[in-house]
Amino acid sequence: MPFTDVRPHEVKELLRQAPVVLVTDAKKVIEGIVNGGVAIFHDGSTYLLDLYSPESRSVQQSETETVITGPHDSFVESLTTNLSLIRRRIKSSHLKIIPCSVGEISKSKVYILYIQNIANPEHVEEMRKRVQRIETDGILDGSILTQYLEDSPNSVFPQFMITERPDVAASKLMSGRVLTIMENSPIVVSAPAAFFEFFASPDDYYQRWALGTALRMLRFMALLITVTFTAMYVSVTTFHYEMVPEALLRTLAESRSRVPFPPVYEALLLETMIELLREAGARLPTKIGQTIGIVGGIVIGQAAVQAGLTSNILIIAVATSAIASFVIPSYMMSASIRLIRFGLIILAGTWGNMGLVMGIALIIIHLSGLTSLKASYMIPLAPMKPSDWKDVFIRAPFSMLTKRPTQVKTPNSTRQTDKKQE
Amino acid sequence: MKEKLQPFHIAILVYTTQAGIVVFTLPRQLADYFGTNGWLFLLVCYLLSAGNIGLIALVYKLGGGRPIFEILEQSLPKLILYPVYVSLASVWLMFGCMIGKKYILLFQMISFPTTNPMFFKLAVDVLIYLLLAKGIYTISKAATLFFWMTIWMSLLLLWFFPSFRWERLTPFLLQGGHDQIKGGIELYSAYLGYELSILFFPYIDKRKKAMLAIQLGNTLLTLNYLSLSLICFGFFSWGQLKKLIYPLLDLLAYIQLPFIERLENLLYGFFLFLILITVVMYWWAAEVTVMRIFPRIKKKGLTITLITVSYCISFIPKTLDEVVSWITNLGYVTIGIAFGLPIVLILVLLIQRQGRESRA
Repeated sequence: MPFTDVRPHEVKELLRQAPVVLVTDAKKVIEGIVNGGVAIFHDGSTYLLDLYSPESRSVQQSETETVITGPHDSFVESLTTNLSLIRRRIKSSHLKIIPCSVGEISKSKVYILYIQNIANPEHVEEMRKRVQRIETDGILDGSILTQYLEDSPNSVFPQFMITERPDVAASKLMSGRVLTIMENSPIVVSAPAAFFEFFASPDDYYQRWALGTALRMLRFMALLITVTFTAMYVSVTTFHYEMVPEALLRTLAESRSRVPFPPVYEALLLETMIELLREAGARLPTKIGQTIGIVGGIVIGQAAVQAGLTSNILIIAVATSAIASFVIPSYMMSASIRLIRFGLIILAGTWGNMGLVMGIALIIIHLSGLTSLKASYMIPLAPMKPSDWKDVFIRAPFSMLTKRPTQVKTPNSTRQTDKKQE
Repeated sequence: MKEKLQPFHIAILVYTTQAGIVVFTLPRQLADYFGTNGWLFLLVCYLLSAGNIGLIALVYKLGGGRPIFEILEQSLPKLILYPVYVSLASVWLMFGCMIGKKYILLFQMISFPTTNPMFFKLAVDVLIYLLLAKGIYTISKAATLFFWMTIWMSLLLLWFFPSFRWERLTPFLLQGGHDQIKGGIELYSAYLGYELSILFFPYIDKRKKAMLAIQLGNTLLTLNYLSLSLICFGFFSWGQLKKLIYPLLDLLAYIQLPFIERLENLLYGFFLFLILITVVMYWWAAEVTVMRIFPRIKKKGLTITLITVSYCISFIPKTLDEVVSWITNLGYVTIGIAFGLPIVLILVLLIQRQGRESRA
């Protein structure tokens, strides 16, 4: 029987396979079609069918946040899949979602997720306000969204944590943070975030506590190395030769004797080279990327020294700084730190140790002024919260991690009961 | 809600404001002015400063935590008060400025003899501006971070334990000194900085023990000074210590590691963190005082003006000696303010209380 012959009361009967609604508002019809629905106009009535099932990537392993042990699934570009990945981990009716939308043209769906009674209502409200305040034609990814939401968008440091891992997202929710996820993006934004949070990896928790603690300390050492090592080399070889003991000085002088440039040029040249290699490696397909690595390794490792362009001790310094920067788990933070390193090298080349110290003071002053969702960014060091240290600078055994972080100002700070007190 | 200063941060802020440039010369001054075992004089300074903080605590208690300007303006006419405010602000501004300049000149002497020190001064002033512009709460956060970045240096004193000899301290007490009164006042300026806590009142959480925190900051500083001086007296001996201009730098130069030596070159830089807070706090005090005269003035404009004025003043003394004599003279005035201001406030508060009682 052709559809035109169907009587109005029979339409719903025929379409019961799909969710169908009778719509009388033209605006809703347009909205429905734009959102992937099908509209059927029949005999003066309009029916809207929700047949939206977009193609999406299957759940795969995250490439930017890899772990050795623990779950390997990561978020994809589908909002519903991402929600289900979180829901699978938090099966609680307290997990609340505030639906919003951003972009005048793109009208992308954005969900704010939080756990009622754990998240601070002020943080949730602040996040909702910030999402609603965005006025732009369209936002295409969570990492762009976070730049609209942050307290100081002009700062070089990321103030909100972003992740592709559902386990990390779930743990952030349970620690009282507010998540923001948007459609067509595998990136989940967690706020508020603290500077030191960017140095934690899920692996710290999946491995035994002693190892987790050692890894944390290694990462803070990496931070120190990546920020200061090349700059120290420049400062010492330009202004403070007396700081090098005699035996080492001989090696240093020998390696620098053929280099025609001042140390600061030499260091900047090599640092730029490493950045070029990193960027080329990131943009090229994996197979060609490897070739770039080999070519770069030879050029930097041998040819530059043999040609007398750089000293091999500097190569060790630059390579160590570069490796140390990749030890920092958050790509965003590691990139920011690599960027500020250039400033420190120039300062060290201009004013030696004093330039270096001034640069560090500038960074500290900047960091102490930053906030994340109006909460202090440098917590638990400033303001000082020693109770949080056991889950920031070390990874204490789980029996000791009884409280949620102070930064979130949660109404329910107890994570688990302290067995010792029972 | 406006963030309040927590007791821990007050303690750290007081400590970092107090710790400054004098630490380089302190052991020598102690040996020179007070002779053998001159470090004992630090205890006198501690008692005096603790007493002074007691006066500040009394002001806080009597005034019920009201800002000091409010207390003064309630009883005294603005015609008298404004010149006082201007004098206070100028002394604090210049004292901070000279501390900054002395640090720069010292550093220039060690590492960059041919560079114009005013370039460095400009760079340091820019850093201070960035800090000052963010207000007291951010300053206290930065002070906490700077505290952690410098306090570990106290552990370096352990390095000198093997070379420490008790016999170098000699069994004599305070023998061989001279000009004790002048020296005493000069040395007391090593403790200055705590007096600015009288301006913290509006930023203090009233429920917490803020006054105790100020005492704790002062005690921490004393412990630090004591351990440093004791090590210096037992490491160098009295006679040698008198002849060293900057004993702390000589002490640091003694540390040798297989891959690095002459650490004073690097560690001197770390003192910048403490100097920054000292200077920024004096300038903050000056700024707060001027703001009281011109409440509607734009804070950013005022900060820039104050820093520009102080930068221009810092051109006047050229040599380290001139700067030191400026600091000494300003130190006298600052010590006067440290004791005088709380005493005046207590008197004013007592008169106000008497007035209230007689009216009742």
